[in-house]
Amino acid sequence: MSDSATVAAPSTHAAAQAVAATKIYGSGDTAVRALDAIDVTFASGQFTAIMGPSGSGKSTLMHCMAGLDRVTEGQVLIGETDLSTLSERDLTLLRRDNVGFVFQAFNLVPTLTAIENIMLPMDLAGSKGDTAWIDDVIGATGLADRLKHRPSELSGGQQQRVAVARALAGQPQVIFADEPTGNVDLNTGAEILGFMRNATDEMGQTIVMVTHDAMAASYADRVVFLVDGKIVDELDDPTPERIRAHMNQLGA
Amino acid sequence: MLRLGIKSLLAHKIRFALTALTIVIGVAFVVASFVTADSLRSGFDRLAEDINTGTDYTIRGELSFGDITDAVSPAVPADLVDDIAAVDGVAIAKGGLFVDGVIPVDGNGEAVTTFGPPVAGGNWLEDESLSQFFLIDGRWPVGGDEFAIDVTTYGDDSYDFEIGGTYQVVTPTGPREFTLTGTAQFGFPENAGIGAIFSLFETPTAQEVLGYPGEFTQINARAEAGADIDEVRSRIEAVLPDGIEVLTAEDSVEEFSDATETFIGPFQTILLVFAFIVLFVSMFIISNTFNIVLGQRVRELSLLRAVGATPQQVRRSVLTESAIIGVVASVAGLGLGMLGALGLKGLFNALGASLPGGALPLTLRTVLWALVVGVGFTVAASLVPAIKASRISPVAGLAEGSTSDERASLGWKRLASGGLLLAIGLVLTGMGLFFDFDGATPQLTTLGAGAAITFVAVSVLSPLVARSVVSLLARPLVWIMPISGRLARANAARNPRRTSATAVALTIGLALVTMVSIVGQSLKVSFGERLASAFTADFIVTADTQAGLPKTLSSDIRAAGIGTPVGFDFDLVQIEADAAPVSTVIETTLTAARIEDLDEVINVGVTEGSLDGFDPLTGLMIHTDVAENDGLWLGDQVDLTFVSGDRVTTTVAAIFEGSGFWSNWFIDSALHARVATSAFDDVVMVQSAIDDPEAARASIDEVLDGYPQAVLEDRQEFQESIESNLNTVLVLVNVFLGFALLIALVGIVNTLTLSVFERIREIGLLRAVGMTRRQMRRMIRWEAAAVSLYGAVVGVVLGAAFGVATATAIPADIIDGVSVLIGQIVFFLVISVVFGLIAALFPAFRASRMNVLDAIADE
Repeated sequence: MSDSATVAAPSTHAAAQAVAATKIYGSGDTAVRALDAIDVTFASGQFTAIMGPSGSGKSTLMHCMAGLDRVTEGQVLIGETDLSTLSERDLTLLRRDNVGFVFQAFNLVPTLTAIENIMLPMDLAGSKGDTAWIDDVIGATGLADRLKHRPSELSGGQQQRVAVARALAGQPQVIFADEPTGNVDLNTGAEILGFMRNATDEMGQTIVMVTHDAMAASYADRVVFLVDGKIVDELDDPTPERIRAHMNQLGA
Repeated sequence: MLRLGIKSLLAHKIRFALTALTIVIGVAFVVASFVTADSLRSGFDRLAEDINTGTDYTIRGELSFGDITDAVSPAVPADLVDDIAAVDGVAIAKGGLFVDGVIPVDGNGEAVTTFGPPVAGGNWLEDESLSQFFLIDGRWPVGGDEFAIDVTTYGDDSYDFEIGGTYQVVTPTGPREFTLTGTAQFGFPENAGIGAIFSLFETPTAQEVLGYPGEFTQINARAEAGADIDEVRSRIEAVLPDGIEVLTAEDSVEEFSDATETFIGPFQTILLVFAFIVLFVSMFIISNTFNIVLGQRVRELSLLRAVGATPQQVRRSVLTESAIIGVVASVAGLGLGMLGALGLKGLFNALGASLPGGALPLTLRTVLWALVVGVGFTVAASLVPAIKASRISPVAGLAEGSTSDERASLGWKRLASGGLLLAIGLVLTGMGLFFDFDGATPQLTTLGAGAAITFVAVSVLSPLVARSVVSLLARPLVWIMPISGRLARANAARNPRRTSATAVALTIGLALVTMVSIVGQSLKVSFGERLASAFTADFIVTADTQAGLPKTLSSDIRAAGIGTPVGFDFDLVQIEADAAPVSTVIETTLTAARIEDLDEVINVGVTEGSLDGFDPLTGLMIHTDVAENDGLWLGDQVDLTFVSGDRVTTTVAAIFEGSGFWSNWFIDSALHARVATSAFDDVVMVQSAIDDPEAARASIDEVLDGYPQAVLEDRQEFQESIESNLNTVLVLVNVFLGFALLIALVGIVNTLTLSVFERIREIGLLRAVGMTRRQMRRMIRWEAAAVSLYGAVVGVVLGAAFGVATATAIPADIIDGVSVLIGQIVFFLVISVVFGLIAALFPAFRASRMNVLDAIADE
């Protein structure tokens, strides 16, 4: 059912992994176990989708893996760094240098232009980044002529492409995407997912995406299913049909 | 809707507190000014009643014009005492003396001097309640070698006096040694009394040393028990010769109140002006806060409208909210104002003003003013936001929520209304400055209204240019801190309306400070130049008591052969020039000095006539301005009437064009001595005959040993001390204007806190992609600095314009030419940036502590 037993020890091929990761909100009678001793590994160069019904803990898992939140017990590693040992400041620097983000909405700073948004993590770090690589990323977005525009002058799809480009530009160990297509129409969604798929195929980028949309999840190499804070199933080389079938099973 | 208003306030306590704080400070100012003034009034009134108890009548020389605040009553002859005592119904009448400028010198050679109150000498009376001098310790002095001193000075640890010791007392007739026999208090001992400083002698000694042989300054009388006060008064009046008047206790109390009101009134007005500046600035802050908050509550308000609230109800709910803030702030302001009044009183007493004691009176009038002002300003400020809120449509909440980056209404309408307001403001300001009004009040009111409207106009126009000016001013930030600086600059410029509304408070504060700086500096420079060219004397002697310098001082210097001393005595005079084509009657200041030596100490610049052969007993010298304005010329007859009622006819013998620094009218001291009883000069100038300045100074110092109240300065020092007095006034004004800057600071804190709250998702995003807390704080701090700098630059430009205009409008004989201290203005700008950085501390802290997940999840 799960391959957790095979990844109990840290693997050098893992871009990110959770070991017995538990997240408890509140205490005593009202305590809620959002994550229940989860073991999961996101291999380098792979596009993984996390699926599950509302309240299954998929967003919590993503937040904990990305260093936006801390687990109550267990370990989370980005590369070989154990996030639980990091101070708030080091965690911030880790996010800046080693993690990329794409959110559902409000991905861009409205006062900055598209290119400034793409360069934001590097600018925050005071580094120039890999210029050739960044040019490639910008080329891939197809937005080379709109770089001086502000977010309010871009369409929803363009904005999300800029967001993905920002996540890619710093060559992070892993990109976490939280419902990146949740706010756009179907065609635009396909365009963004295709762009992310390319990032993995052509640039070798590790991507972890949380979604509840089977169509979106089908772009991934692997789908992990979460229910009540536990990983209950997973699927390699998914198609929308197979994903829906699994979801129905879980729901029943 | 009332409940909604209250709930909305309780939900945002910090914002509520900050908004209210600005009004609290303004109301506190109003309250402090009323309470302090009332306390002074009631204190002095109580004192006046106190010291007039036991004295039913005061008989004294009548002033022919003016009142006791600017002149000393002429003496009354001693033999009048018996006439009054003999009046039917008078129980007792005694002659009293009270003469300013009698200075005791303590065991360490230190002269007893004060800031303000008189340092006087007088006589004691057996009937203590008649004179109001009460013996406290020791015994009353008897004979020519004894004196008593007031218990305040005796008890003051900084002076060394012991009963039984012998001390020098400097009187109008010169210094003399006396043995201290006791201490006394002015006013009933069971009351607090006033901290007056005085030396008392037995009556004949007092008459001799105070320079009133056979005379008194007044006669105190008491009616027999049960006698009709007014009837007896008429009988006293009947025996009085011309030029002598009788006042009942009631008259004296009233006169005293009127006299104290001449400084309490302006004091209260000045504080109220500052109060209104603070409240005016607060209005912008409140209006801005309401605008932002209502913008953030669009969804809530449109939901209210959707479920059936009428626009009127929405408007009422907003106004209710502001009225509650106003009431709470007024009450808090009352409390703070009382504390402020207590502090002010303490400050004055610390400066040596010795104000009468007593509880602080909180009158109904003060409470009403606090409420009216507090609620009025708050509600007025929220009027426009309330109307805007009532226009929110029921479906507005369904659309995209964020209204933070508004670009609307930056167009022609704004330009036109702002331009119109600016024109009105400038016209009124110009009228206030250059138009000649009837009296100072309409002039200053026009000026104030003009300035206020100009500020409103600037706040209306400011959003049109805010974006580009802020971007320009904040450009260096981008070079210094690539990302935090760029974001700070962009944030400062993103909402021109909000930036303008936030900055305008600082604009007003800084405009006023800059204006004061320019006018003050111009005044200092003009004054200094005029002073430098006005006189040629090597040394200037002034007194550090009100009374001045005994006239014996200049004769002593002359006798010591040090050089040429000229004493200047400024006196009030009524001038009638019948000979002129235009008949003139003016009350003005006249200078009495030794005319033949005048050109040795000042640049007289005689244009017509000559000082040679100037007849000391009939000659009059006038300034060319007077000659032109009043049509007077050489040989014209001018009648001078002094406060004593003495009248002399003089002839214009010389016209001068030198600085009218002293006054436009000069007579010789010889003539003055005949008509006025003044025993004091206001200033003595000395042209030294000794070449070595050090030696000259030492020789003068030796003479001054007998005049402990004298202050000897050379030209340089004299100029510096006048400048430093001016500086003190400027600093005081700036301290009060500082409150306007404080309000501006609160405004920046308020706006920034709200903006941070509004940008919560953006902040979450920045933190998620790796902005450190430190970078976050820096970004917000410099955003505030950029907004402050914008407000400050506009304020400095506006203030400079006002300042230059004011300095130009002030007549050339006061301010001649504009001077600007660039360094000081740069300092103001730097301070404003620092203000912004300080204001941002709290919002920056909050932003940096914001939970990243909460921020991202915020809908």
